[in-house]
Order: sequence, then structure tokens, then C-alpha cells
Amino acid sequence: MKRTLVSAAAITAAIGLALTGCSGAPAQQEDEGPVTLSVSVWNMEQTPEFQALFDAFEKANPDITIEPVDILADDYSEKVTTMLAGGDKTDVLTMKNVTDYARYANRGQLLDVSDVVESLGADNLAGIEPFDLDGEYFSVPYRQDFWLLYYNKGLFDAAGVEYPDHITWDEYKSIAEQLTGETGGQKVFGTYHHYWRSVVQAIAAAQTGGDLLSGDYGFMEDQYSLALDLQTGGNALDFGTAKTQQISYRTMFETGQAAMMPMGTWYISGIAAAIEGGTSTVDWGVAPMPQIDAGEETVTFGSPTAFAVNKNSEHQDAAKKFLEFAAGEEGAKAIAAIGVVPAFSSDDVTAAFTALPTDDLSVTTFSEPKDVVLEMPVSEYSSDISTILDEEHELIMVGDASIPDGIATMDERVTGDVLE
Amino acid sequence: MAIAATRAPVRPQSRARARRNALVGWSFILPNFIGFAVLTLIPMGAAFVIAFMEWDSYSPPEWVGFDNFERMLGNQSFWIALGNTAYYAAGHIPLTMLAALGLALLLNKRIRGLGFFRTTMFFPYITSLVAVAVVWNMLFNPTMGPINQFLEWIGVQDPPGWTTTSAWSMPAVIITSVWRDMGYYMVLYLAGLQAIPQEYYEAADVDGANAWQRFWNITIPSLRPTTFFVLIMVTIASFKVFDLIVVMTDGGPGRATLVLSQLIYEEGITENRFGYSSAISLALFLIVLVFTVVQFRIQKRKED
Repeated sequence: MKRTLVSAAAITAAIGLALTGCSGAPAQQEDEGPVTLSVSVWNMEQTPEFQALFDAFEKANPDITIEPVDILADDYSEKVTTMLAGGDKTDVLTMKNVTDYARYANRGQLLDVSDVVESLGADNLAGIEPFDLDGEYFSVPYRQDFWLLYYNKGLFDAAGVEYPDHITWDEYKSIAEQLTGETGGQKVFGTYHHYWRSVVQAIAAAQTGGDLLSGDYGFMEDQYSLALDLQTGGNALDFGTAKTQQISYRTMFETGQAAMMPMGTWYISGIAAAIEGGTSTVDWGVAPMPQIDAGEETVTFGSPTAFAVNKNSEHQDAAKKFLEFAAGEEGAKAIAAIGVVPAFSSDDVTAAFTALPTDDLSVTTFSEPKDVVLEMPVSEYSSDISTILDEEHELIMVGDASIPDGIATMDERVTGDVLE
Repeated sequence: MAIAATRAPVRPQSRARARRNALVGWSFILPNFIGFAVLTLIPMGAAFVIAFMEWDSYSPPEWVGFDNFERMLGNQSFWIALGNTAYYAAGHIPLTMLAALGLALLLNKRIRGLGFFRTTMFFPYITSLVAVAVVWNMLFNPTMGPINQFLEWIGVQDPPGWTTTSAWSMPAVIITSVWRDMGYYMVLYLAGLQAIPQEYYEAADVDGANAWQRFWNITIPSLRPTTFFVLIMVTIASFKVFDLIVVMTDGGPGRATLVLSQLIYEEGITENRFGYSSAISLALFLIVLVFTVVQFRIQKRKED
């Protein structure tokens, strides 16, 4: 009796919350006068792209003022979920990842912005596919990071090795072996694999066509043996050390301890800043991600970041205007200028990307057509499967599970515990 | 005060006074009690109810009966976390108590620089836990860490991989936590030792008891209340271990050091499955309760 009472009270409270969240039909009265548009962002100080976008937008639209709602990056998803549940009216919401996007859109918390996508042209926007929900778009990507290969030109030159121009994984391995050694009393690893599972798993999935949500992970085998061979051969820092000592990939590359490093494009602005600030003197370049077979189109993985309009927003037209600007060419140029990779592509945008080294290989890496596969596919199971893949990845990488055993455990746990 | 109230003949006036006294008493504990009730008691009570619901903090909660518990019992991660928690407790409780008692005995002597040594031993306890975890991770580094270099120097052929291997990461965590906690419990033991009357030892001396006999027949029995208190505190702390593991190994490699409180955090805060994580909290609560009650029983029997 008492139990039902308590649960009834809890249910009523929750329904009340949900109702207030969904009610309040957005007042569609586009004000003539000045508008203040609130935009949810994370770690504003360390994420200069937001300021760059806002400044450019305010300059182009003097009657609209942007008011950032700064949220701690680690708490971003939880915070936005709570805000939306409470009927918050923040106008523009930044979608940090596609999984959260799908959740908000399916709950009906975002405004349909298919018209914005149409006017920009879906073909011009890299990474738009995962935002397509039955032909409707509730968000527009403005940034599309993808993975490539960073390399240290100085170390390549010193060893007399050719730059890694469209190489295969076999060539990558032999280059890593050649570049391993010592320079000026410092140990140099041929390459550095950061301890994230994507370094092995997402590359394998993208290049073999495997599905990270499938519960069938045989496709990872080759990539795992490559990673393990490199670390047992001493050509890459071993996983256990990297993980327990919380090694910074930036330090590894910026101090010349690693000659190559597969990493995302977000690091371009980071290393450019380090060199400008004088903390690193590495002569660097980027090359396409190594492939399984030579001569094929470059396949890599990445993930987009997008803007969406809150359904509760009271300035929906102004908010859409912001989306169109930020995801379009003007916004793209503004963030390209500070070394962030925009989703919108055009020659002008590539020209604005000045943080990139000017050598042909780096420029080609950027502008060549390529297939960027989504890092982690979207489903209600993504996060549970991700946890399992993380745990088994560690066991394989520290050598506590053989590759076939580790993969078999992944299959078994994902199929048995999650998918059933 | 209470005695006076019961002894006095019951008259309306004194009843009023008793009520006023009670009110005064309540008002004294109220500030603390409000905080306790709002931040601890109500959430705890809520956990008992939520454990029988499915609730993601967004959608309305749904009554699911024992589903969460069934799921918990069928989930491999729960059993692994339970086993790991037991493993940690089995290592942490006896080792911490032994180390704390040993230190207390050593530092109960009159030696030069006593204050200095006592402070040194207490230091780990007041050091930031994150710093402790990071430094011990460096010490445990399999290739460059001083611990393995020392082991190799004394002739250990194949020193353990510590936090980089499933088999040795829990021992590494236990060693770190014993080092961190022993100073605190040492202080409790020191207080217990100081409370033992010197006359007992003098009398034993006269009777010709040797050092071991004095320790076994005087120190240990006289310390029993302290030992009991320390045991309860260490047991509860062991079952609740969370921060050290999260910073040092984050439950890894794989699930080798995943403990219950970490699983509760992940299921609840990260995955938003508050019903399921409350069910695991209840299981942990019951385990701690049973252990504490059993220890109280045993202690009581010994006293009788």
C-alpha cells in the first residue's frame, strides 16, 4: 500500500516534470528589435572555435547578440539532458556527439531544421549522414573531425626515410621499425598509439567495413596483431605504461619521442599553438591514415559536432539563422582560421585553413576525397557496448588475453549481456 | 536530566518542563540533523524504493518489482565486482590492522624524534588521494619504476607487472591503500595503548613475564575495544572503496579491479540506470550490515 503510494507520488512528479518540459508552445513572434541568442557550449576557454564563431556571427548580424551558456565538458551530456528535461529555453544546443543527438531528437526536444540543411546542401556538409532521421534533420554539423597520421619530418629526414605518402599498414610497420632508435640520448619510438580503443577498433571497423555494434568482432584481428607487434618490438610505447602513467599523446609527439602518430584532426590547432608558443620545435606534417591495401580511396573514421535548435526556444528564426551561418561557408572559414576542421567544404575554406603545413602531402591529405566512417554508430546500446569493448581492449593490449580470446569474449559479452 | 524527569512525580508542570527540555535538545541537534536527513537519510530511503523501479531520471519511473535484482544476479560484471570487493577487503582489512598496530607499538616507545615519526606515518592519510595514486602508479611502473628495479636488484627474475596486469593490479591497489590508511588507524591504536595502565606491565615484570607474554596477555586483551572499533571502521571503508581505484586503475585492466561502488557509480551516474544501480547499492548495504552485525555479536560474546 505504502509502496504504491510512494511510486504514485514519484510518477506524478515525473509526469509533471515531463509536461512542463513539453508544454509552453514556443512563442513564434520574431522580434524586430535586437535579439539575444543563448548557445550551450563546453569549456569555452579551451575551445576557441566557439568564440571565433560567435564573433563572426555577431559581426555579420549586428542585431543579434550571442550569450554562451558555458558547461564543463565532462558534464556536458548530463547537464543538457537535465536542462531539456526541465523545459530550459536555451536557444541553440551544441551536439557534442551523435548518440546524444539521437536521444534528444527522438524525445522530440529539437526543432526540425531540414530547411537549413537543404539551403546549405547536404552534399557540402561532411558527416551529415548520422543526423538523418527518416529524411528529417534536427541538427546541422559545423565541424567534422577525422583521423589522420601525424609525422615528424625531422626524424624521417634524419633516418633517410620517405614521408608516409598514402602507405599501407605493412609499410607503416616497417617505417616504424626503421625510425625506432635514439636521438640525442632520448629514446625515439617509431610510432605512438594512444590507449583509446578507437586507435585499433574504429580503424579496423572503418577499413574492413566491420560493425562495432554487431557483436561479431573478428574484423579487428589484423589491427590488433599490428598494434601488439609494434609494442612487443619496442617500436611503440607499450599500452600498460601509456595507460597507467596517463601519458599525454601531445608530449610524445611534441618532444619528438614518437616519429608518427595516428590521431584526430583536433590536434592540428593544438600542435600549431605549441609551435607558435615555443613549447615544441617539431617539424610536422600530416598524411592520410595508412590503409590495408595500396591504391584505394582513403578510408578513416571521425565524428561530427553539430548545432541544434531547442524546441522551447523563443527565438527560433534567429537560432536557425545562426545554424545556417555557423554550418555554412562563413562559419567554416571562421573556425578553419583557428585550425578547426569545418564540416562545410569549399576551396575557400581549405585556403582559410592556415594552421596546416603547406607541403603538398598535408594539403592533399586534407582536400582529397575520402570516406570518413562514424567512430561509433548510434544505437541505444552504444554506451553499454562501448564499455565492454573498452574493457576487453585493455586485456588484449596488456597481454592478459590473446587476440582470439579477447575477441571471443567481446562477441560473447556484447551478444549475451547487451543484445540478447 | 532524563533520570530526574522519570524520578519526579508526574505533575502537569514537570511534564511541560520535560517537553521543553526535549524541544531544547531537538533544537540543538536540528542543524546537523537537517543536513543528515536531506543529504543522507532521504536519498537512502529513496534508494530502497528506486531499486524496484526502472528510472532514467528523465522518463517517469516504472514499477518493475524484482527485475533489477534478477538482472543483477544474472550479470557477470556484478559477480566480478563482488569478488573483487571481497578480494580487496580480505587484503586491506588484516594488512591495515597489522601495519597500524605494528607502527603504534613501535611509536609507543620513548625514542628520539617521536613526534616526527608519528607525523610522518600520519602524512599519507592527509595527502591528496589523486597525488597518492599517481605517485604509486609511477613507483609500480613495470619497466622504469623503482619497485621493480629494486626487485630485480635483489634477484627477482621476473617481477610482476603490477597495475598493467590483471593478476597483480589488485595487490598493487591493496598495498597502496594499506600505506595510505595505516597512519590513521595507528593513531587510534596509540590512543588505546596509552590508556593501558602502566601498573599491569610492572606487575607482570615482577612476576617474571617476558616481552611476548606481556604483549599477548596484557596489550592484546586491553586493546580489544580499540581493535574492535578499528575493525568495524576498516571493514566499512574497505567495502566502500572507490576513489583510490578509480584514480589508480579505473577498474582495469579489463575488469580486474572493478569494485561494487564503482559499478554503482557507472550504472547510475554514467548510464542513467538509477533503478539498477540502487539495487546494487542495496546489495552492498546488506553486505556491510551483515558484516557489522556479525562483528558486533562476536565482540559481545567475548565481552560476556
